[in-house]
Amino acid sequence: MVVHILGKAVKGKYRINFGLAKTFYGIGLQTATRICSKLGFYPDMRMHQLSEQQTMSITKELSEMTTDSKLLAQVRANIRMKREIGSYTGMRHSMGLPVRGQRTKTNAKTARKLNRIERKM
Amino acid sequence: MRASLVALGRSSWKGPFVVPLPISQAKQNGTPIRTNARSCTILPQFVGLKFQVHNGRDYVQVEITENMVGSKLGEFAHTRKRWSYTQTKNK
Repeated sequence: MVVHILGKAVKGKYRINFGLAKTFYGIGLQTATRICSKLGFYPDMRMHQLSEQQTMSITKELSEMTTDSKLLAQVRANIRMKREIGSYTGMRHSMGLPVRGQRTKTNAKTARKLNRIERKM
Repeated sequence: MRASLVALGRSSWKGPFVVPLPISQAKQNGTPIRTNARSCTILPQFVGLKFQVHNGRDYVQVEITENMVGSKLGEFAHTRKRWSYTQTKNK
């Protein structure tokens, strides 16, 4: 069973908060749980148990937040702004290195993976 | 930047960390302000001024724009040179 929310497929066997947290960038477990309790779903409710109306209510809730591509665009714009004003943070982003003074002799893997001007998801 | 991050950074009763600088003079003459105070916060009044910020070796010319407000002067004067290989003539 697959449930579609905002054009994204979510596995039906997932709990609602977990499914939301897993599929949407910018929504973690905490935010997802908050949405669930706001809409009155009991904690162990699964995705496939949602009715049409409840799915709509989730969609409405999510569309009010900045998530996914909207959020990513925001993050990228912030990074690009830092780069354009010539700040150290922007430079480190463009070099793909840690921004907040971490060591770079070893590790720094997350930074190498994520830190670009066009930041990855 | 998120407003909460700014608010969490420093107690508001202290205000931003600012060093006395000859701003009014620079606004009249248009001369760059030479300073070693890298940790001085950039205030909205600084916009349009020219600074020469020390990077440990010499003074880097920085022109303040609107987006820079809230960050420190030192962020715009990089202290490390990027390493690049240079071929030496004499072995």
